[in-house]
Amino acid sequence: MSTIAASHVAEAHGHGHEEATGWKKYLWSLDHKIIGLQYLFTSLGFLLVGGALALLLRWQLAYPSTQVMPNGDVGNPISLPFINPQFYNALFTMHATVMVFLVVMPLLIGAFGNYLIPLKIGAGDMAFPLINELSYWFFLVSGAIMLAGFFVAGGAAAGGWTSYAPLSSVAAYNGTKMGQTLWAAGIFINGLASIMGAFNYITTIVNMRAPGMTFFRLPLTVWALFITAFLLLLAVPVLSAAGAMLILDLNFGTSFFNPAKGGQPLLWQHLFWFFGHPEVYIMILPAMGMASDVLSVFSRKPIFGYKAMVFAMIAIGFLGFIVWGHHMFVSGMNLVLSAAFGVSTMVIAVPSAIKTFNWLGTLWGGSIRFTTAMLNALAFVAMFVIGGFSGIFMASTPVNIFVHHTYFIVAHFHYVLFGGSIFAIFASIYTWYPKMFGRMMDETLGKIHFALTFIFFNLCFFPMHNVGLGGMMRRIADPTAYEHLRSLQPINQFITLSAIALGFSQLIFFWNFFRSMKHGQPAGKNPWHATTLEWTVASPPGHGNFAVTPTVYHGPYEYSLPGHARDYVMQNEPPTPESGTGSPTRRPVHAG
Amino acid sequence: MARSVTGRLIWLFSCILGGLAPCHAEIRETSVWWLPRNVNMFGHEIDFIFYVILWLTGVTAVAVFSVMIYFIVKYRAKPGVPAIHSHGNNALEVIWTTIPVFIFLALAIYGNEQWTQMRLRTPPAEALPVAVVGEQFGWNVRYPGPDGKLAKMSAEKVSKENPFGIDPADPDGRDDFTTYGELVFPVGRPVRLYLSSKDVIHAFYVPEFRLYQDMVPGRVYDFVWFKAEATGHFQLACNQLCGQGHYKMFGKLSVVPETEYEAWAKGKAPATTARTKDSRSTPVALAGR
Repeated sequence: MSTIAASHVAEAHGHGHEEATGWKKYLWSLDHKIIGLQYLFTSLGFLLVGGALALLLRWQLAYPSTQVMPNGDVGNPISLPFINPQFYNALFTMHATVMVFLVVMPLLIGAFGNYLIPLKIGAGDMAFPLINELSYWFFLVSGAIMLAGFFVAGGAAAGGWTSYAPLSSVAAYNGTKMGQTLWAAGIFINGLASIMGAFNYITTIVNMRAPGMTFFRLPLTVWALFITAFLLLLAVPVLSAAGAMLILDLNFGTSFFNPAKGGQPLLWQHLFWFFGHPEVYIMILPAMGMASDVLSVFSRKPIFGYKAMVFAMIAIGFLGFIVWGHHMFVSGMNLVLSAAFGVSTMVIAVPSAIKTFNWLGTLWGGSIRFTTAMLNALAFVAMFVIGGFSGIFMASTPVNIFVHHTYFIVAHFHYVLFGGSIFAIFASIYTWYPKMFGRMMDETLGKIHFALTFIFFNLCFFPMHNVGLGGMMRRIADPTAYEHLRSLQPINQFITLSAIALGFSQLIFFWNFFRSMKHGQPAGKNPWHATTLEWTVASPPGHGNFAVTPTVYHGPYEYSLPGHARDYVMQNEPPTPESGTGSPTRRPVHAG
Repeated sequence: MARSVTGRLIWLFSCILGGLAPCHAEIRETSVWWLPRNVNMFGHEIDFIFYVILWLTGVTAVAVFSVMIYFIVKYRAKPGVPAIHSHGNNALEVIWTTIPVFIFLALAIYGNEQWTQMRLRTPPAEALPVAVVGEQFGWNVRYPGPDGKLAKMSAEKVSKENPFGIDPADPDGRDDFTTYGELVFPVGRPVRLYLSSKDVIHAFYVPEFRLYQDMVPGRVYDFVWFKAEATGHFQLACNQLCGQGHYKMFGKLSVVPETEYEAWAKGKAPATTARTKDSRSTPVALAGR
């Protein structure tokens, strides 16, 4: 039995390494918690970089340096003259690359995956601590390589984060041979980091659960990360391979993607989106899992339909691999194939609908505490609903012919990625910060941050639906170059001003984050009165996490059980006659 | 005299607001914040499905958000009122799984029906064939002459000198004429496009035609056809990132009465080679060239 092996290992502090001390602790610690924090700090740093790139490109869209004014001058009076069209293309390419590969993925999977998985399943560490640390360093190096593109001849990659060939694969077409090569190298190394993390998570969750922690007693956060790890393991190698092929095409004379020498441009798109669509779920499943946990804790209610939630995520995991073609409806691939992908894409909306209804069910009859974490989790649900709905338009093949590659899609994926993933990340940071640093974040500052973010997020991204329907293409350096877009320019300026306000609102979060480390109220073990195992140990937990391997007797969401003095039952609380959840069928598997 | 900080801020602020002013001078023909007018016979179905989904999602969104707000208000923590201990309800799960399955399948099936009509149906024989080949950063356009036939295009023959990839000896091509960045279509007559690219992927995008199609080098796509139902002047835009001049890769597109089209076509000299200098009726300024 896996649990037996796990308990032996855990009792021996089972990660086969001693606690690192001093500076070594933060540079080369094998402790999953330190690695999680390394990911957290690094990707929050990258968040500032990605945000700055976004504001620069928004400024260009509102006040283009390329605009021909009525008096014949080129450039708006308040434009940034250093943003030429090529640099603008690099801005949005790198904004997306940074946000996807260096912010959202590492925050969800690197930071929270590392920090929470062993603590939530009752393990002392990850299965492969050294590989875990290597994964972090590969990630950091990949980020440095991608951003180095800004400092080489030709500038950073400017072919979009999707890097469609042959624009990306032929130096004569893109003019950024070095930047594009660095981009592909960064993607390749980033992929290795993801793969290392993925099999580590799978091994850890399968083998190192505490006695009694059956699969259906896993918190949804762990389920979500477990499924995500499989998606990573199957999808990311394809992207890495595509990245390697791109490097070969650019530098070593192959022509996988260049039709002038017999290559196939659509091959790149198939490889990219075979990764790219599971990737979409890689970036939302962990957010769904963590938001579920937050909603349950602060509603003081068990999650509604736990198994439905798990099966919905598994369904998303499978279906996620057969919908990639919906990014290519109008690429000219086989037209019957488009029809097939259209059906699978509509079907994958069902599990997302199920999850939304279950979140509402969780709120029903609750005793809702409006902490900053809860507000962010509620915003996650609401924004995910809007993002999901706008997806239906694009899933319909005929409508896609009209809205493809317009600002409508830009609105859509920002509602899912910012409105969904980033709000869930904020919810998670506000929830688990006390565990990570032993102190509470300031609730007043937190609520101000939430309110401003929520308002300016919607002011910034909702009008993008309208400009998109009005016919504005994405990835154009100057909308005023088009007669048919000039009347949309006031909305573009409004969006930019909202984006700036949204960006600066995040400074409140950073101030709160760093200030609370020293000045926050001490948190204690379990400030939120939550049930899962990480709340049974000190904040922050010591090296090895659990002094004694916990035994699990309950599911993860035993809130508000009638007849109990407290409104929660810890997962490792031995069953009492009245708790009624220690029935023989659910009795834990004991070690030994 | 140096301006004070406040003065600078006021100046900056008025510039930002002033930046809005020149724009309202040019209001789009029909719609500004919404779908532009539709001139393509296929656009009606696209708009219809768009509005069906809009109503469906709009009503559902109102319902979901109403329930959410109601729950948030009703079930806010109140002293002495414990939460209900419930792990869920299987009947509800079945209901809210089944209903979306049917709705989404219906949308997919109806959408596919229309997709088949638009993309898989053979274009009518009387359709006017027009070849459009993208390049960084402009549009090579080829029209048939009086014989109504275009020279046969083959993607393998596409080169700098031969953007359409035609055989110079092809008799159908003798009377063809070309333009650069200028498209004129007769109203009420089907038009069949032959789309390709010389270098990178471009895309043929006209919002008023509800039409987007990638143009991929190495391939000639011949399945896009449409019928313009109203006259007007539009802008053809490249909507697939194609390099630094991408943002200025647009062309002129007009829909005119049949007689006007005939007159325009008559005035164009047949192409002696694949493309001549004089045929560049609308040169597109190339960034950085």
